[in-house]
Amino acid sequence: MNELNSILRERVKDLNLCLREKYDYLFGLSKKELRSFINSHVGEIKKMDKLDTSQLALYESRGGIVGVDGSVNRLGGAHPHYVEVYQALAKSTSQKEGDLVLADLYTPLYFDEEEDSLVDEEIIIGDRRNEKLATLELDVAIESVKKHKPYAILMDGGLIRYNIHAHDRWTELRQLCEEEGVILVGVIKDIKTSIIGDTIKEIDGRVSNRYYDREILFGQLDYGEMIIIKDEVSKKLARGYASVFLRSSLAPSVIGMDIIDSQREHIQEMARLVFTLTPENSRGVPLWLDIVDKEVLISDDIMRSMMEEYLDRDLYERFFVSERDKRS
Amino acid sequence: MKVVGITTQQEVYVGSKDRNFRINEFLIIEDPYQDNLLGEVVEANTYNRYIPLNIYGDFVDSSVLESLKALGYNIDDDTIYIAKVRLLNEALYPIQTGSDVRIPKFTEVKDIMVKSKLGEGLVLGVIKNTDDLAKDMDEDLKGILYTFEEGALIPQNDIPYILDLKSMHHYPHIGVFGGSGSGKSFGLRVILEELMDLDIPTIVLDPHYEMDFGEGAPYLEGTGRDFKDKFKCLQVGIQIGVRFEDLTAQDLKNLLDAASNLTDSMNNVVDILFKPKDSYYSFSNRLQMLTEAQEEGSLDRIESRITNARDEEERKAWIERRDLFINYDKLCPYNSVRGIIWRLRRLGNDGVFSKDIREIEDGLQQGKLIVIQGSTRILQVFSTYLLNNLYHKRRDYKDALYMKAGADYFPPFIIVTDEAHNFAPKGYDSPSKSILKEISQEGRKYGVFLIFASQRPTLLDETITAQLNTKLIFRTVRASDIQTIQEETDLTVEECKRLPYLRTGDVFISSANMGRTIFARIRAALTTSPHTLNPFDELKERRQEDDDRFLDIIMAKLPINDIDLAQVALEIEQETGTTYTVKALEERLKQMVNRKHIRKEETIFGYRYIK
Ligand SMILES: Nc1ncnc2c1ncn2[C@@H]1O[C@H](COP(=O)(O)OP(=O)(O)OP(=O)(O)O)[C@@H](O)[C@H]1O
Ligand SMILES: [Mg+2]
Repeated sequence: MNELNSILRERVKDLNLCLREKYDYLFGLSKKELRSFINSHVGEIKKMDKLDTSQLALYESRGGIVGVDGSVNRLGGAHPHYVEVYQALAKSTSQKEGDLVLADLYTPLYFDEEEDSLVDEEIIIGDRRNEKLATLELDVAIESVKKHKPYAILMDGGLIRYNIHAHDRWTELRQLCEEEGVILVGVIKDIKTSIIGDTIKEIDGRVSNRYYDREILFGQLDYGEMIIIKDEVSKKLARGYASVFLRSSLAPSVIGMDIIDSQREHIQEMARLVFTLTPENSRGVPLWLDIVDKEVLISDDIMRSMMEEYLDRDLYERFFVSERDKRS
Repeated sequence: MKVVGITTQQEVYVGSKDRNFRINEFLIIEDPYQDNLLGEVVEANTYNRYIPLNIYGDFVDSSVLESLKALGYNIDDDTIYIAKVRLLNEALYPIQTGSDVRIPKFTEVKDIMVKSKLGEGLVLGVIKNTDDLAKDMDEDLKGILYTFEEGALIPQNDIPYILDLKSMHHYPHIGVFGGSGSGKSFGLRVILEELMDLDIPTIVLDPHYEMDFGEGAPYLEGTGRDFKDKFKCLQVGIQIGVRFEDLTAQDLKNLLDAASNLTDSMNNVVDILFKPKDSYYSFSNRLQMLTEAQEEGSLDRIESRITNARDEEERKAWIERRDLFINYDKLCPYNSVRGIIWRLRRLGNDGVFSKDIREIEDGLQQGKLIVIQGSTRILQVFSTYLLNNLYHKRRDYKDALYMKAGADYFPPFIIVTDEAHNFAPKGYDSPSKSILKEISQEGRKYGVFLIFASQRPTLLDETITAQLNTKLIFRTVRASDIQTIQEETDLTVEECKRLPYLRTGDVFISSANMGRTIFARIRAALTTSPHTLNPFDELKERRQEDDDRFLDIIMAKLPINDIDLAQVALEIEQETGTTYTVKALEERLKQMVNRKHIRKEETIFGYRYIK
């Protein structure tokens, strides 16, 4: 083994040690201890059943379930020679022809505002992307509430980010759902919160590390169990939402689900819906959202062929074909 | 339906959300930048991006799909149908992606689908997957046949496949290939029915005794027809044979060789000993006498036979033997002469020389189908002679016509045979092969055509195979045969891949005339082969008949006491001539009890059989 590798090897060993140390406390807790802690301080762990067909048929008769998701793709080279396209889809289980799609694109070449070179370029891009996407997703969701009056809307991802990235539109959707009685939930594949860890830290003074919920909950819930997070705990996170964690598939990971505050009475029902729609041998995402996700995706091929077809050749080559693309 | 994906000038993909494609169906592509283009589906696929239930590597269980269904979403609705379409004629430019695609109207495909007028071609079946096109088809093409599928007669929904008989003039000869049970014989039967319908003079070599057209097919339940006045079955050695007096030395050698191969020396013997106008008797007698002389061993001994002859007749006979001996002994070795005698007798015993081919010629003149039956060996022998004879008659007539000389009319005709590889095998010589080869190469000029069926195209002489301009390919499983087919036809790789899976009676028809392969189903034959009876049904039927006959005899005699068995056996013998031992009779009665035709009853005196 050469010098480089042996240095790297030492680094990896160090990392292993650090992680062991950091998680010493957490791994020291038995499943039983952890669960009882969660039960008393975070929220009740409850076993849920799948919804039966008659219940689902009822949803169908009341407008079905709408799934909402968005996607981004980017073509070209480094700033500013690229285009980003955004697309959002609201798809209803019961309206065959009722898919609602919106799309938008952005390129710094044309839309560019005054360039602030001090601000990190990547952050701007990230923000704009989030904003564009959130806006499009909310737009299709709003339209679908108006058009389909579904029983419920499942948004792909937590609801909180809409408030951050597209506040006005979010408020509009929220009010509309409340008025029309459409249940609005967000399903979070990758939970990034640390509610439980923070609670542990608060209660047990010895703990100083930050533990994330996904680490803590990994393997701790049984298939079909959920934690309905207590109000006072979730409020620390953000006002206006109620949340659950649930293990919806046989995979040991746990997903999250938000619902708007005013509809919290439906939280268990919606968790059960998510559970029902999740294949047991999956990573935990309801199939409907996976279907929407797949459909909304803009593949590289489609992206490229669209550019090639609808941009004049000289423009396309001059601006968007990077040296690297040319080589391949 | 729209053109999707990358296109070329020859091939496109067509996608549809709601219409499943079928292989070999025709589609019209409406490219805005060029004329409408006709294409044929060569590959049909369905695609559902969510099935096989696998999304990002997750496996979807059916309960989730059921739940989605309850919510109103059926995953099957997201299936899309994709067809690979090959254009019949190359396009000027690659097809515009996104072009509309539609089903053609009948008039747009008529010219390529129906090459022959009714009444002029052979209506062999239907072109598969053309039901959409057939809806606005000319009325006279509708309802002209049935197909027989899954045990039921199916009315015609598709465009009929009519084999253009006239085009045989330019594209002669037909091959029919396929594995066991694939529908060759059935297909041949349909071809022959059509030939009879058109009164085409035809010779059928039938080693299986299956080409009889006297019986309507059972599924037609009496509504079928027979062709009784259109065909004749003739058996070699019974109704027909070779007139020995008409033979040339070459004919004779061919015949003897067909009986069993001739050595050079034997060939020589025939050349030397056979005299024109010889009869079977005179020729075989000459051979016989020569061998008898040779058996004496020397001229001296023959001379002493002459001297010691008991009467004048014997003396004369030995003189004759002596002359033969003097003239031929050196030229004709004893063993070779014996070999010729043996072969000659064998043919004679088969009856080959006892009749002539008059009935065949007459039949052909009347436009009939003549079925020639005999064992494969006999047919090999006989057909060599027959086909030479008939072919030359036809050729002489045509040549004479050409030279403006008078000649007797002899009609064009078609030669049909199953198991053709027996008559024209690849790799070794057989007497019938040379005439068949000649006909395959020259027959077109004289209006003599071949229809050859074989399980094994690979075993058939390749010169002949190459001359078969139309080929019907049924299910074929053997790789070497598929290989041969691929080389000898315009079947595409995709089509060849389908060969092992074809249903019985489904067939690819590749013809130089059509310029492409047609996928067809052979129609229901109107007649049936005489021995399609399942052997097990046959057993059952046979047993039933035996039982009935036996019951007829004994019913009147019931009740029969065990002590009377001997008496009953005697009575039966007197009445019917059939002898039963007591034991055999009892066995038979027990059988009848077992089959519940009669009963057995215990009495105080023993037992007895009653009704
Ligand atoms: N076109 C058809 N429609 C309906 N049934 C058919 C058709 N072709 C064949 N069959 C059925 O399949 C059976 C087998 O067909 P056939 O005797 O023609 O096979 P084959 O190819 O001649 O086989 P082999 O090489 O063993 O003689 C027939 O008895 C017939 O009942
Ligand atoms: Mg057969």
